[in-house]
Amino acid sequence: MTAAQIISRSRSGAASGSVLTAALRFARRLRGILLIAVLLALWEASARLGWVNSSNWPPVSGVALAFVKGWGSGELLTLTASTLRRMALGYALGCAVGIALGALLGIDRWARYVLKPLIEVLRPIPAPAIVPILILFLGVDDLLKVVVVALACFFPVFLNTLSGIAGVDAVLLETARTFRISRLRTLTRVILPAATPTIAAGMRIAIGIALVVTVISEMIAGSAGLGYHIIQMQYAMRPEPMYAAIVSLAVTGYLLNRGFVALERRWVPWIGR
Amino acid sequence: MLGFALGAMLAFASGSADAQTEKLRVSIIPINDVTPLFSAIKLGYFAEEGLEIDTAPSAGGAVGIPGLVAGSYDIAYGNVVSMLLAAQQGIDIRVIAPGTKLEKIEDDYSAMVARSDSGIATGKDLEGKNVGVNTRNNVIWLYARAWIKASGGDPDKVTFREVPHPQMEDALRQKQIDAGFMVIPFVALATAKPEFKAIAHPYSAVQLGVDVGQYLTTTKFLTDRPQTAAKFLRALRRGIEWYNANRGTPPLLEIVSGFTKIEVDLLKKVPMASSPLRVDPAQIEITMKLMMDHKLLRAPIDAKPLIFQQAL
Repeated sequence: MTAAQIISRSRSGAASGSVLTAALRFARRLRGILLIAVLLALWEASARLGWVNSSNWPPVSGVALAFVKGWGSGELLTLTASTLRRMALGYALGCAVGIALGALLGIDRWARYVLKPLIEVLRPIPAPAIVPILILFLGVDDLLKVVVVALACFFPVFLNTLSGIAGVDAVLLETARTFRISRLRTLTRVILPAATPTIAAGMRIAIGIALVVTVISEMIAGSAGLGYHIIQMQYAMRPEPMYAAIVSLAVTGYLLNRGFVALERRWVPWIGR
Repeated sequence: MLGFALGAMLAFASGSADAQTEKLRVSIIPINDVTPLFSAIKLGYFAEEGLEIDTAPSAGGAVGIPGLVAGSYDIAYGNVVSMLLAAQQGIDIRVIAPGTKLEKIEDDYSAMVARSDSGIATGKDLEGKNVGVNTRNNVIWLYARAWIKASGGDPDKVTFREVPHPQMEDALRQKQIDAGFMVIPFVALATAKPEFKAIAHPYSAVQLGVDVGQYLTTTKFLTDRPQTAAKFLRALRRGIEWYNANRGTPPLLEIVSGFTKIEVDLLKKVPMASSPLRVDPAQIEITMKLMMDHKLLRAPIDAKPLIFQQAL
């Protein structure tokens, strides 16, 4: 057997191996899809055959129909957009304050001494629990929801910024000092870029929280958005559109996460994966 | 002549368009109780008074009074127990207009519902059992307790569980609760099934004539804008009269369906009680005494000064 033959044989082996792994991967994916399909079929059967006897348990086909109708008429689009708008405002505010305070506390010992205890005390309070108190100060409109979402998003971003800065390689900092780079420039050119992967991770956690908290605040004090719609449909005894809204929420959450990952890859290419 | 008519028309047009159209923000719960308000909006009664009503629905109704205090709303629909609790806490609350009242036994559709095969018939039978109410320490809880006491039971021996209205039927069926205080429209659909039955109508059994709900506002609103308050009440009363005369008719069902999002076909199966034209302080005082009996209020409150004079 010549060397060329050996190489070509091993190549074809590798090729068939990669086909095999691709097929395996597909089969594995299919298993996941199959599980979802079986669960949906069970849902349909349980509602149609009366295994579950409840007016709050519609067949999944009815939900699918309501989903298509809701998006077709633009109703679910309007609701999702209004929820996303509140969420985006709160998220942007929470992230901005989280990064700013995280950076301040990360580079300034005194700020850390003064502010850290206060932040740690506030941290365990679940955002929805303070809604009734905040109503007194902020009213019941969008400002309330935006602030509640911002509060919920603040903590993961803040903590990740802080720990990201604490974890910056000392050699980088010493190099900056050796070159007599100013504190501000060190922060923007050395510290923050080095901490960005950690900050981005915090922002990704926050985006999931933001959606949940927006919907909860709409449920408690809402007149619009998906959260209010879900409650309203429940009280109107129309479970199909209610579940259609919940499915829309799930899809929105999934797409937000995927979108964030894609943006992260593009803008933070040095992120370790 | 033509010029005069044109001038008059122009004056009328500009008068109705920009002149003193006052905007009022009203917090509502999307239930049948506020149908007269929506009727008055739809029929233009508020517009004729120069008022524009912006309704802000809240499903649970939990934000009505806090929103009023915060200044987000001018008026909020609320129940009598929440109103008295707020007054006790020193919140500057006032009753501006009547809302819901049970004047006739046959108008009381809300009911204590149990499984038909449970053998539960009185409050005594509920001792040691679980009773579903939408919220503890509120109007439904109070009248559930009062009925249990009135029918020979000790409400302190009953466990009250919070179950949202839409889930009450499921909770009963799954035996998470042994009875549930159900309201319109859920009660009508549940009791139409043979597996459930209404064992009592606590509101009318305990206090026929009870003033269940009212439109609330603040003292500040009543002192600063008495004319507006009077206009609101006047237009709402016309809405109430129209509602009382048109209960169950297609145009009214259309209005209810518009703000509750309940389908008209379903609404046809749901009875509607008449609506009151006046607030009844004597009934509010009876509720207040019940609240003291069940330790919701510490001290009596003089109800009459809380009510807008013209609403009496």
